[in-house]
Amino acid sequence: MLDDFSLDVDAGERVVVLGPSGCGKTTLLRLIGGLELPDAGEIWLADQLVATGGRLLVPAHERRLGYLFQDLALWPHLTVWGNLEFVLGSIGVRKADRPERIREALALVRVDALAHRRPSELSGGEQQRVALARALVGKPRLLLLDEPFSSLDAELRAVLRGELVRLQQSLRLTSIYVTHDRDDAAALADRVVRLGGRS
Amino acid sequence: MWGSRSSRTVVIGVAVAVFVAASVLPLGYMLARFAAAESGSAAVLLDARQRTLLFNTALLGAGTALLATLIGAPLGLALARVAVPWKAALRLALAAPLALPPYVVALAWVHLTGPAGPVASALGPNVLSAWTYSLPAAILVLGLVLYPLSMLASEVAFRRIEPRLEEAGLVVAPPGRVLRRISLPLAVPSVAAAALVVFVLAVSEFGVPGLLRVRVFTTEIFTAFAALYDFGRATLLALPLLALSTLAAAVAIRLVSGQRVVSRRGTDGSQPLPLGGWERRTYVAAAFVLAIALVTPIAVLTWDAMGVSTNVFQGSRLAARNSLVLAAVGASFVTLVAVWLGYGRARVRYRLGAAIDVLCVVLFAAPSTVVGVGLIGLWNRDGVLGGVYGTDGMLLLASLARFLPVAVLLLAGAVRYVPVSHEEAAAAAGAGWWRAMTRIVLPQVGPGLLSTWIVVFVLAFGELGASILVAPPGETTLPIRTYTLVANAPPAELAALALLQSGVVLSPLALLGLGLAWRTR
Repeated sequence: MLDDFSLDVDAGERVVVLGPSGCGKTTLLRLIGGLELPDAGEIWLADQLVATGGRLLVPAHERRLGYLFQDLALWPHLTVWGNLEFVLGSIGVRKADRPERIREALALVRVDALAHRRPSELSGGEQQRVALARALVGKPRLLLLDEPFSSLDAELRAVLRGELVRLQQSLRLTSIYVTHDRDDAAALADRVVRLGGRS
Repeated sequence: MWGSRSSRTVVIGVAVAVFVAASVLPLGYMLARFAAAESGSAAVLLDARQRTLLFNTALLGAGTALLATLIGAPLGLALARVAVPWKAALRLALAAPLALPPYVVALAWVHLTGPAGPVASALGPNVLSAWTYSLPAAILVLGLVLYPLSMLASEVAFRRIEPRLEEAGLVVAPPGRVLRRISLPLAVPSVAAAALVVFVLAVSEFGVPGLLRVRVFTTEIFTAFAALYDFGRATLLALPLLALSTLAAAVAIRLVSGQRVVSRRGTDGSQPLPLGGWERRTYVAAAFVLAIALVTPIAVLTWDAMGVSTNVFQGSRLAARNSLVLAAVGASFVTLVAVWLGYGRARVRYRLGAAIDVLCVVLFAAPSTVVGVGLIGLWNRDGVLGGVYGTDGMLLLASLARFLPVAVLLLAGAVRYVPVSHEEAAAAAGAGWWRAMTRIVLPQVGPGLLSTWIVVFVLAFGELGASILVAPPGETTLPIRTYTLVANAPPAELAALALLQSGVVLSPLALLGLGLAWRTR
């Protein structure tokens, strides 16, 4: 549960929300993402009020966000290409422009060769990259990441962390990353916000 | 996530309206009529005759549930844990008796064990003939038809046991002990829930006790309608059935929802405890069950039907065509409405969801004759509603009324396997609800949609209790024709009609089985 909490994020800033399990980190992301409704308070995105106590003013699909779920949520019946193409179709990108955008996003995370595979045919690390590509392909104004590396081994985690830092810097992404891992926070944050009793 | 102004609100709202109008109102109408009737009639429920009915009905339900579980649960365990080849085809074959109209199997029983049947000819008239028309016979017939429900539920229960729970046992105990002390107790709630569903289906069954002359509530209800035109009495007699069904459904749902086992799809490569060395025994058991439950009824009817004139089929061609078309159209309508309701059910909170489940089971278990009279009461009036009455639309309404609830439950189960995060990811990606449903959720529910359509088709094809009351004058279906000929037609003709009906519902299953066997060769 989140109570008496405020957060302002500047454009291009990388914020890491650090806290133990159950402190409300995922809830915070879900509120920003429009997947849950606040009981009280306000949520603003780029000078637009998107939700207030009990009222969803702008639904999730209209907020132009990228969301990387903890369980990745890759759609199993679609190929890698199909997962990204779905995003572009949803936000109204012209069909003619989609292939280039998809190739660009896949190249960013270095999974170009996997475009026509299904998620079940990918390794854990490959799935993570594809999920990141899907979150980025729509050129979101804010990237939300919910402990995306929690199920990976330490070595792979370090590699992907480095890649994410590279992407954030090159794309100047505004991002909010929630984790309970201090190493993640140290590597990824311009600013660390602690939840769970400490500020 | 989607907001109240999304297309979801409209689509599910319309589906709920259809559900209420089609499935809830007929029963609600009958209960309202009963409530408005003169008081004191409730005392009828307590007399000795009604207590006998209650005893017979409860015994029929309990006996059927026990027999179906004794046959089905071990088969389900075998299907879950024994590495037999051609498993998909074997599962389909073992599930096939569920597709047989129960009264067709009862007819085969009568032909087999009656005074003129082959058992009497071979062993004398006193071996089984005394049991031909009896409560144990009804239990046997229904148990042989409904055991696939227990089998399929048991298989799912054993497959969903967390492999690491068994592995933790295998570290210290042999496989047999782990199976007995860990796996079986974890599967018991689901097996028990399936037994309760079989109980509900058995107590609401009309055709089998009717044919086998067993006095239970459903046969008394039919008599009250068809012979005495006493709607009030018929509705009154339905109340104990509805009470029994509600109680059984509530307990079943509680059993399943209280389970602590969680299915993990092998993320760490662990596998459930296999039963090695049981392949031959599985096939022997399956062959034995199929011989009794499927082969024997078909063989008996085929033997009796030999030599029958093809005029029988000529005379029933229209009825068969009506049944096929109405069942196909009915299954399509039901599936089209149920998918949205099933999605809604899968995504609501637990308490509301449990209440919806109980409502659906009770509606499905409502005696078909009560539903039929409720439909007549609602639609047989002046105006627009009356325009539907007297047309084939009433038969489609009967399908909606009876089978929409079970389709909702089946599709809710299918939608539950699609993680909510898939829908959320679609929303976060910019897709509206309709796009998320049609591109993300429904494609993953495809097999569930197909299997629901098939289940509803089979049920609608064999539907009798409501159809016989609402069918327009001059219009008939194959079950109606078969049932009305029972008292008058020669046994050979009845057997031929029953075979025709069985053939129509088993043929698509046989094709599906061949297709599965071909794919897994």
